[in-house]
Amino acid sequence: MNWLTWLGDFFTAPDHRSGPDSIVHRVSEHLLLSGEALLYAALLAVPLGLLIGYTGRGVTVVTALAGAARALPTLGLVTLAVLLAGVGDSAVLLPLVALAAPPLLVAAVEGVRGTDPDVRDAARGIGLTHPQVLWQVCLPSAAPTLLAGFRTATVQVIATATVAAYVGLGGLGRYVIDGLATRKYAVTVGGALLVVLLAVAAQLFFSLLARFALPPGVRAQHRAR
Amino acid sequence: MIRFEGAGKRHPDGTVAVEGLDLEVPTGRITVLVGPSGCGKTTLLRMVNRMVEPTSGRVLLDGTDVAELEPAKLRRGIGYVIQQAGLFPHRKVIDNIATVPNLLGWDRKKARARAAELLELVGLAPETAKRYPFQLSGGQQQRVGVARALAADPPVLLMDEPFSAVDPVVRAGLQEELLRLQSELHKTVLFVTHDIEEAVRLGDQVVVLREHGRIAQLADPHTLLTTPADDGVAAFLGRDRGLRGLGLRPASAIALRPVGDGRKDGPEGGPTDGLTHGGWELTLDDERRPIGWIDRAAVTAELHPVAGFHPDTDTLRTVLDAAVLSPAGVAVALDTEGRATGTASREAVLAALAPGSSRPGAARPGAARPETARPESGGPGSGGPVRTDKPATGDAPDAGPADGAPGGR
Repeated sequence: MNWLTWLGDFFTAPDHRSGPDSIVHRVSEHLLLSGEALLYAALLAVPLGLLIGYTGRGVTVVTALAGAARALPTLGLVTLAVLLAGVGDSAVLLPLVALAAPPLLVAAVEGVRGTDPDVRDAARGIGLTHPQVLWQVCLPSAAPTLLAGFRTATVQVIATATVAAYVGLGGLGRYVIDGLATRKYAVTVGGALLVVLLAVAAQLFFSLLARFALPPGVRAQHRAR
Repeated sequence: MIRFEGAGKRHPDGTVAVEGLDLEVPTGRITVLVGPSGCGKTTLLRMVNRMVEPTSGRVLLDGTDVAELEPAKLRRGIGYVIQQAGLFPHRKVIDNIATVPNLLGWDRKKARARAAELLELVGLAPETAKRYPFQLSGGQQQRVGVARALAADPPVLLMDEPFSAVDPVVRAGLQEELLRLQSELHKTVLFVTHDIEEAVRLGDQVVVLREHGRIAQLADPHTLLTTPADDGVAAFLGRDRGLRGLGLRPASAIALRPVGDGRKDGPEGGPTDGLTHGGWELTLDDERRPIGWIDRAAVTAELHPVAGFHPDTDTLRTVLDAAVLSPAGVAVALDTEGRATGTASREAVLAALAPGSSRPGAARPGAARPETARPESGGPGSGGPVRTDKPATGDAPDAGPADGAPGGR
């Protein structure tokens, strides 16, 4: 079939095997950018979410904001960021963080709020301080929900990080954009496929993490719900 | 000692949970707060460890107003057990129990050793230590909850309906266990329940509460059952409180009729005296364990079941029940090996109720209390019932299958 030859061409092209336009390089660029965006989003959203979830204050505001944030057009944000900050990493990071933060925030809030109230009561009653309750009781209890939030955010960021190419940055978006610009559709399809594969791999990674990294008690509790 | 001095709680919306209560919770005893839901009993309990701050009055713990103490520190010195156990789902049983010692900064090894010790104390198998709470039955979880509360050996224990969520058989076992623990540990226990049966069974003193935390009656269980303060309390106590009062009197007060050695060397080849009751004959095996009752008038030697009791651990209620169930109208006293040591007729049970034949209120199976021992009163056999360490009855700590099976997975 036609697109199979395209893919063959894409993966065997010498440019794509080594050098700045190589697949390995583009993938690592893509992952680095996605990782950076996720890190900032997590640093911003998780502590805030934990705090909001624990105190129960501002939950409605968060839910409304998170819903609204999902409707933000990423491309528009990129354009806006370029206008404001000029071409550069931050022009791409800003929209990506805006994309990743809401699911993380909601996951943190809901995760903490999902802690069994009896367990929280007992924890306070036997002498844990508020930070200890949050850290030792609510955080482990929120871990599965939080992990699910990370999974959603990661997949979205990986898929969307292609926009970096719009403002002249690297990543797998390069193939998609350049392919379109030069009418080498094989390159576009190859790049798109790689993005999909990466997203699937991320999905898989988090499933495994949820399966093996969570303490058994939390896992069972999550299943039971 | 815990002292409530006009302790009241008014919610910000103006509703009154507790109007203002004066109460003393004596050291080393179990005080039970009992009342319908909404009577403020849980609110009162939670005032002690500052989970609820009183809006009027104060609560003193050994003379110190708890409001002056830092909440977390205060709570680490007070055992706290709640209805659903509230175990940390992500921690193994052993780590759950060791929570407070760890908070207090004990050496990890010492905390673990102490936790293992407590696991045994509350009657759980050592291998339970490595399990997670979700792998335990409700009864086992509650035992872990009690163990966690006792881990740092606090002098005071607050228990908020701890046994309400488990089925009646398991609950009875847990109550038994609590009394056994208390007879060893002598904690100052404040226990909240809506179950008057439980209150009467566990309490040294029972506080019956009405709405807004008003005391309807404060008395020992026996006084409560025999002389309720008013119709309201009587209604709360429910039917047959007289019969239930039997459950507070030890079976050891009964004058037993001795049984023979079971050999058929009586007159006319019949059994020796003590084994025949009316038209019924008690058959024993070689170890002198009862096999059954035989109707002497019947043609066939059909065996009818024997209802037995243990004089040292059971109550008059059990004995009367056994006597009623027995075809011969007689309950058989058994020793810890299950051997027959005597018989008690219905009449003998009622005779044990006669004034002076037992010490109401003071004596109760399940807990020997030095404070209540009054050696000058009562005759032989009516002294404080000393409970054996291994109850021979079916509700022994780990005997109940209902309590032993892992819960929902």
